Amino acid sequence: MRLKRVLSLPTIVSTSAGLTLASSCFVAAAQVAHYLAGNAAWLAILVSGILCLLAAACFSELNGMLPSAAGIRLYLARAFNERVAVTASLVYMGVVASVIGAESYVLSQVLVAAVPWIPALAWIIILEALVVGLNLRGVKLAGRFQDVVTYSLVSSLLFFAFLALGRQGFSVPEPLVTGGAVNLINAVALGVFLFIGFEWVTPLAEEVTKIKLISRGMFLAIGLLSVTYALFTVGMSSTVDPDLLSATPAPQLLFAERLLGKLGVGWMVALSLAASVTTFNAGLLSLSRFIYASAREHVLPSALARINRRYFTPWTAILAVFAFALVVSITVYLTRRYLVLVNVGAATEALIYVLAALAVWALRRREPDAPRPYRVPAGRLLPWVVVVVFGLLAAAVLGQDLAALAYLAGTVVAGWLYVRWAVPVLKERARARRSTARLRQAEMVPSGRPSR
Amino acid sequence: MATHEELGECLADFRDRCNADPQLRRLLLDWDRDILVQATDADSSYVLTVRDGTVYLDHRGGEVGRPDVTVSAEIALLVELFSGRITPTEPYLNGTLKVLGTEEDVMRLDFISLMIWGE
Repeated sequence: MRLKRVLSLPTIVSTSAGLTLASSCFVAAAQVAHYLAGNAAWLAILVSGILCLLAAACFSELNGMLPSAAGIRLYLARAFNERVAVTASLVYMGVVASVIGAESYVLSQVLVAAVPWIPALAWIIILEALVVGLNLRGVKLAGRFQDVVTYSLVSSLLFFAFLALGRQGFSVPEPLVTGGAVNLINAVALGVFLFIGFEWVTPLAEEVTKIKLISRGMFLAIGLLSVTYALFTVGMSSTVDPDLLSATPAPQLLFAERLLGKLGVGWMVALSLAASVTTFNAGLLSLSRFIYASAREHVLPSALARINRRYFTPWTAILAVFAFALVVSITVYLTRRYLVLVNVGAATEALIYVLAALAVWALRRREPDAPRPYRVPAGRLLPWVVVVVFGLLAAAVLGQDLAALAYLAGTVVAGWLYVRWAVPVLKERARARRSTARLRQAEMVPSGRPSR
Repeated sequence: MATHEELGECLADFRDRCNADPQLRRLLLDWDRDILVQATDADSSYVLTVRDGTVYLDHRGGEVGRPDVTVSAEIALLVELFSGRITPTEPYLNGTLKVLGTEEDVMRLDFISLMIWGE
């Protein structure tokens, strides 16, 4: 059955890549370059991209089997159980909200560099309030707008990369010098952050005609991002000292200024703004809808399921995300420890890929005959490769940042305790309310009319 | 097992409840949509058409080539759903109910059920 409104492959690619491209990616790219002795950032980024392709293959099998906007929540529930699914989803969404907070901090630093008379804290509040306002009014970036923004971003980043490399006669010193296996592993682990969010396109499974388009879109987006990030990072790290780049929350501005002066800074500020706003908007949109759906199934308090009757948006859920992201942004602003959230984001993403691969394996055992339009190649081997590799990468990130480990562990424990103790209470209260409402309604329903 | 007729009765009741609520009709004024309700385990499909705030029910399910939203599930679940005995959220999240359409349309449909039957 073909729907009236369907998405095309270029829009799926732009959505997947656009959700991933954010200002904090430049910070992560600078950190990747900093880990390595020579100009081998391209190698770490391409390896991260290839590993993410393996994870994308797992998401493709799950999405083909269970095409739903519920995404990872549904995959884990079917593969394991409700408790695991809800806990993982809550942790994932909590971390996404934290990354949104970190992103607004990073963008505020970019804007302060361009407009220094407005303080960073004011920028944070202005930016978050602007995106929240758009979300409250139900303004959604149309597919074509997303196409224009993403493809302009990619073209501009490639332009900067080729300009930098061209000025060096396309000769980069020490392109294969990593400084050792440990450095390379850490760089690859952090490189995963550059691809955070490519799988957020899976909820669009209900808006496409062929489910395979989502898989193709994800693969193409990762390929496009890998090449773009690799060239841009090498261009950046061979133009500006990686030590300088890694010490600032706005490394892309140093790079742009070195290349094109004020014009470069202005251009890069515009790119960062576009990258952040699309990611903010998409993150806030998916987070608020997730909170709304969770409140509707009584996993979160029912107050979070209120809908604005004019714009049909879940306003309490949107404001809850706003409050959380603002607290994170202000905390980052006061502590300046934005890299902790970058590491938490990279580790969480790696662990979500581990769970997705385990879900592929579990569902093949539980539902071997279920239709699978896409199947991960190499039998059970590939999902296990994803489990081992991303498990090790998460360990590598968390092992070298104990604050990130504590943050993530705290979130997981809090999520687990919440699901174990608070969710049953919420569900019981909802059941009681519903029974009372039914009794009242049955008393009011005139005889002869079907009562519920 | 629920039947095609039972599903029709539930959908007729759903239509009547929508049309009897002036606030809901006002909220549906800018939402002209064709919603195909399709059973996955029986030869049963209906179309709910929303035009200028009024909901209509039709049996010509097979003739609607390009609906805006498709709601599909086993017929027993559809009957439970459109009679308000269960909320759409849980079957939607556990994959037994499929709602194909844009996110805004899916949200609007959920909101209608929320307004008619509460949580």
